[in-house]
Parts: sequence; C-alpha cells; structure tokens
Amino acid sequence: MADEAGQFEARYIYSVARTDLKENLGDIGIGKETVYTIPHRGIAALVHSCWPLAYNTKDKALAEEWIIEHSYVIDQATKRFGAVLPFSFDVIIKGDDAVIEQWLIRNYKHLLGALESVEGSAEYTIQIYYDHDDLSARVLESDAELNALKGQIEKESKGKAYFLQKKLDQKLKSRVSSQAENLAAKYLLKIKSLVKELKAEGNKWMPEDYKRLKLLASYSCLVSDDRVAELGEILEEIDRMQGFKVRFTGPWAPFSFASIQELA
Amino acid sequence: MQPERDGSLVDILDRLLNRGAVLNADLIISVAGIPLIGLNLRAALASMETMLEYGVMEDWDKSTREWYARQQTNLPLSKDEEILFKTFGYIWREEGIISRWVPGVWNITSRRLFLWLRSPGEVLFEAPLENLRIERVNASRAARVEWELISSGGSAKISISDSDEFEEALARATGVQTAVPV
Repeated sequence: MADEAGQFEARYIYSVARTDLKENLGDIGIGKETVYTIPHRGIAALVHSCWPLAYNTKDKALAEEWIIEHSYVIDQATKRFGAVLPFSFDVIIKGDDAVIEQWLIRNYKHLLGALESVEGSAEYTIQIYYDHDDLSARVLESDAELNALKGQIEKESKGKAYFLQKKLDQKLKSRVSSQAENLAAKYLLKIKSLVKELKAEGNKWMPEDYKRLKLLASYSCLVSDDRVAELGEILEEIDRMQGFKVRFTGPWAPFSFASIQELA
Repeated sequence: MQPERDGSLVDILDRLLNRGAVLNADLIISVAGIPLIGLNLRAALASMETMLEYGVMEDWDKSTREWYARQQTNLPLSKDEEILFKTFGYIWREEGIISRWVPGVWNITSRRLFLWLRSPGEVLFEAPLENLRIERVNASRAARVEWELISSGGSAKISISDSDEFEEALARATGVQTAVPV
C-alpha cells in the first residue's frame, strides 16, 4: 500500500497491454502528461502520474479535450502493443508505481486471460437502419390481403372507409415491423457466426445523416482481424438492399469487452 | 463494406464514459464509497443528449477530427486551423551558389499556405492566405507547373504536379481567382 511518501501520489490508468518493457510513450496523456508503462511479467499498465484527485470540470470544451486525449492514448497503445484492455475515463489509483505493480501481481492471471481473449481482434459497432416509408410502400404493394383491403376502402362509404383505413394501417405497421425484424434475425445469425462476441446495444443514438431512418438493430462485436472483411461483405449485402442502410464503425479498442470488473 | 472511424465524438464518449474496465476497489479515488469514475465528466456533459438532438455536436465532431489530424501528422497547426488541401510539391531555393528544388508537402489550411518537410519536421515556407497571389510562369520542366507566389510573407517559386486541383483549392481558400497567363 502507499507509504507515507506515496500518500499524495496517484496514477491515472489508460489501459493494460502486453509488453515487457518499461518505457516512456511521450507527453501524450491528458493535459500533456507523460504516459509510461509499469510492466510485470509480460503485461503492463499504461499510466500517467497525477494527484489523487478525479479529473473534474464544468467546462465542456475541456471535458471534450480530456476524452479525446484519453482515447488517443488508447489508440496509440493499440498501435504499439496490439489489442489492449481499455479503461474508462477517470480511473485513478491511489499510490505510486509499486502499488500499481502490486495490483498487476494480484490480478495477473485475470488480466492475462482478458488480454488473450481480445488478442488479434478489435471492437466494431454495427447499426442497421431501415426506411419505414419505403418498406411500407413495398409491403403494401406485394401483400394480397392488404391490397384487397385497400381496394375495398376506395369503394366504401366515408364512415366505413375510415375504420377500414385504421385496420389497414395497423396491419401494415405490424407487417412492416415483422418483415424488418425477420431480416434482422436472419442477419444476426450470419453476423454471430463471424464474430467472437456480440452484444446488443441499448444505445439509440444515431448520426445526423441517419435521422430520417429507423434504427432496427445495434450491436457491438469483438471481431478477429481476419474476419473483418467477411463481416464487411455480409453488411454490404444488407446495405445494398432497397430501403436498408448499415453503419459499420471501428476498429475500436475492446471497450465493450474489457470485462474485468471483478478485479481486486 | 469497410468499417470506418468517422471521427464522431459521440462514439468515443459512449465508450470512455459508459464502457471500458473499471476497478471496484479501495485503491481508487472515491467519495463516500462511490467511485468517481466519469461522474464529474458526466455532469459536464449532461446536456449532451439535448445537444445531439439539435445538431450542436457537429462542431464537436469537427474539432475531434482536427485534433486527431494535428496529433497524427505533428503538423504545427493552431487550434482552429483546419487543413483544406495537401499535395506533394517543391519550392525553389537559392542557397549561396546552390539553387535547387526542395520537395515537401504543400498544405492549404483555413489560414495559410505552407510547405512541410516531414523530416526533420519543419515548415520551410509559409504565407498567410490574405493577399496571397500565385501566377503561372514558364516551367523549367514540361511535366510540372510552376508558379510565382507573392504574399505578405514574401515571394517564392513553387511547383506542384496536380496543378489544377491546387489552383482550385487555393482559389476556394482565398476566395480569389488565380491569374493564368494567356
């Protein structure tokens, strides 16, 4: 544990990587802090030395700068060491390098296992969107029952037509969503066969260009480097279908798969 | 279909604040037993969702891209300076009795035109965009186009192979038409 001299010391931790070397990665950390490795038997923590205080600000621009800087260190670490275990923002360990090394020793097996499980792979995000109006129009055209209902509406009196229209709208809505969901389910199987791990996302954020579309499915996947091209082909197939669009981002450090929560 | 990192800050924020490894231990900084991981930042970024709704994030994304661009090339750009066009080219240097074409990368930014030498990492010539003029001159070699460049930062003889793109980019950046000899 931190001794007298170490009680005002802390280390901001960016990631854990596979390396034997104690080295300086330069002044690339948050606020231009020097980032360096603290190794132990082939694994190392990437840290900068700081006060035992959390990074805190009300200034959005500064918060943004910190986030980007943290992300940049992780990208650089990935380039240098291969897949790393990325840490969340603001994980600060009280103590000096020796405390970090003790922590590495205590959790050695677990960290090594986690690093091995992400080795040779990276995280990717897949979002599948569809154009609701376009799909509705095509379902309406191709479905005999709905077509008949539509024809009937044109012949009926105003009052009856109103209720039939309601019925049509409801049926159409459920057909469209079941068609979209069937497609998502079919492709989910294909995607699953190509990735090491997959998590369905609750995050409903979509970029500006996609706002007029409906988000059908959103996944984070851990993908081996040699399967990315194949995955891209499957997604291309969806993207080429009329009314569908895919957003495929990455490679990211395995943020969604750095499951080492139970570390001591 | 190729995966892309389109520079969206939202993707990065989501990962750094909501994912990634954390430690649930006495080791880390906490207040009343609650780890401070990301909590402070979340407060600063609390209205992010609202900002997203109204497209304010566009600016953020732009600045993320600029920041990454600055880091990855080590180009000496100022904070709000953005690279608009870059191309390989030359500048004519007369150093004592030696005159020669020195190669580098010409960058047109939102502020200036400059020639960057990757190694040793130096700006060999720069000129602010205001009052910047270039004029085509007779080239010493048929394959290249040469210009006389006149600016408040000095004049120079420069050469670039994708000449039309360069002229167009510079005209866009300065808002001035290039004078082409008849």
